[in-house]
Amino acid sequence: MDNGPIIKLENVTKVYHQGKINVTAIDGFSVAVDKGDFTALCGPSGSGKTTILNIVGALDVPTAGRVTLEGNDLADLSRTALSTMRRDRIGFVFQAYNLIPVLTAYENAEFVLALQGMPERERRARVMEMLKEVGLEGLENRRPEELSGGQQQRVAIARAMVTQPAVILADEPTANLDSATAASLLSIMEHLNISHGITFLFSTHDQRVMDRARRIITLRDGKLAGDERKG
Amino acid sequence: MNGMKRHFSMAWRNIMRRRRRTLITAATVAGGLLISLTFTGTADWSYANMIDTSAKMGYGHVTVAPRDYFESPTINKRIHNCDAIRETVLRDGGVVDAVVRIFGQGMFATASKSVGGTMIGIDPAHDSAQRNVFISALKEGKLFTGADDPEVVIGMKLAEKLNLHIGKKLIYTSADINGEIFSGMARVGGIFRTGAETVDGGVILLPIDRLRHALHYGPQDATLIAAFIDDQRRAPEISSRLATRLRLKNAEILPWPQTQAELAGLISIDHASNVLYQFFVGLLVAAGILDTILMSVLERKHEFGVMLAVGMDPKKLFLLVLAESFYIGVLGLVIGGLIAVPWYWFMHQTGIDLASYIPEGYDAGGVPLETVLKMRLYWESLVVIMAGVFSLTLAAGLYPAWKASRIPPVESMRGI
Ligand SMILES: Nc1ncnc2c1ncn2[C@@H]1O[C@H](COP(=O)(O)OP(=O)(O)OP(=O)(O)O)[C@@H](O)[C@H]1O
Ligand SMILES: [Mg+2]
Repeated sequence: MDNGPIIKLENVTKVYHQGKINVTAIDGFSVAVDKGDFTALCGPSGSGKTTILNIVGALDVPTAGRVTLEGNDLADLSRTALSTMRRDRIGFVFQAYNLIPVLTAYENAEFVLALQGMPERERRARVMEMLKEVGLEGLENRRPEELSGGQQQRVAIARAMVTQPAVILADEPTANLDSATAASLLSIMEHLNISHGITFLFSTHDQRVMDRARRIITLRDGKLAGDERKG
Repeated sequence: MNGMKRHFSMAWRNIMRRRRRTLITAATVAGGLLISLTFTGTADWSYANMIDTSAKMGYGHVTVAPRDYFESPTINKRIHNCDAIRETVLRDGGVVDAVVRIFGQGMFATASKSVGGTMIGIDPAHDSAQRNVFISALKEGKLFTGADDPEVVIGMKLAEKLNLHIGKKLIYTSADINGEIFSGMARVGGIFRTGAETVDGGVILLPIDRLRHALHYGPQDATLIAAFIDDQRRAPEISSRLATRLRLKNAEILPWPQTQAELAGLISIDHASNVLYQFFVGLLVAAGILDTILMSVLERKHEFGVMLAVGMDPKKLFLLVLAESFYIGVLGLVIGGLIAVPWYWFMHQTGIDLASYIPEGYDAGGVPLETVLKMRLYWESLVVIMAGVFSLTLAAGLYPAWKASRIPPVESMRGI
């Protein structure tokens, strides 16, 4: 198990029922992601990127096919077990607006650790270090509305990272950011990937982001259209 | 921050984020509280008032009466050793006063007309305006002073029917304990007007010793002893305590609901409809609160989706949303309480005069009605109402909280 892929999708199909119309968002898609990968999921709008991330993150269930995360078949896990797995093994960075508006940057970053029941002192040390790592030192007490889009995304990265999950799933993390901010966010992600060995799977439209990914998986109409490894 | 503390802190910030809506919702809670307090307070005040007035019309809150007197009152049924019994009754801590009275039926006549009615023999040394509604309702003249005074006090309607004025003579006729007819002559010393037609048209007060004499009662005989207590609700408890203390063979001690059954019936019907009415008001208030909280939950689907996606236990999210209702309930009680204090103060001291809405001569089961509506809240009612309104607010939050906990975490991925 240790040497197998951390994420594995086998023949995954997802059909959405919209009234009488069936939309096949994912169509017999298979892929394996290794531990420590820094992978971009590309493809035109509507090709199924978000759907894949939802299924891998146990936020949604496939219509057919098998999904395993760290060797566990997601179909075998209960609701509670899935919730716990998301809390402890996965970090989520959504496209935008994914912070809790009434909590400060510090409290947002510590949210998942608090859910895990980590003692306050240990939590504090970890969160402060992580906020420093993503360049948010001194902004701990700001609410999301008092932060720029890039700063908000960095808080989200900190929240996802601070639990030291096995995988971070990010859906278009740079979509709402200017290019300078996007570049610095990507540097942070690369740094965390290398120094902490965390696996990243992120979707993107952005050519500059794709350029920095070490593996690019391309989707078209819910099917695998390309899988390119660099270096 | 940990566990519960974090939840309450987040809930508080959430409701403060939507300050205006929170205030409106809390105001709904406050309105429900005020309505409930007002309905309960005015009802309890009128009940207490009617019961006190009724007690002052003859029997007191607690009555020492001959056995079965109230089933079939006759002149032969009487208690002996009145003074001794009165002393014992007065010694009870809950009793504020006790007076001895004789009740009988009679005919009242002048040269031209005659009318039937009730004769009440009272002792002016013990009876007073505080214990006797007829004395407090005196409109002309005064009460006789001696227990053997030749004067009587009559109702205004009776005076009109018999065309009597202060100083005029009337003849009263009845039968004594031997069945012999007797009659006596008296002068009208005072005229009362309670507002209740039945009593104003058919009651005369006369000195107890005169009536005793005429009926051939012994010097310590009387129909009953009327005891007055400070809180009418304690009547049953005090009655049974007096029963064990007095241990009378041929007399019984009855609380007011037994001696004034008609009034007790009216009050319990009114009370039941009041509770039902408040229940429906409560439902409406709860529906309003539920609607607002539910709306605020549905607006935050994305945010709650994020919390669930990152691994928050749905049960905790349920509690988080319920904590918002908790705060809305607390705020509502505080706002309602701040308004209730001056409102209650005004309604308790001054009240609202409804004289123009109440028809002349109207009464409740023979008891004249007070035309000023006031409020009286018992601590117990206050606690029950506050707890009820608060629970209702929490209950209204249950469904939205459940709804929040069922949001699919995939909502977090959707843009807004
Ligand atoms: N909840 C849903 N109900 C119905 N159809 C859906 C739903 N979610 C996605 N789809 C459809 O599934 C397909 C894939 O959608 P998905 O959001 O995964 O694409 P995407 O690659 O993330 O697109 P984008 O780049 O615009 O974010 C699309 O055709 C979309 O319309
Ligand atoms: Mg998408």
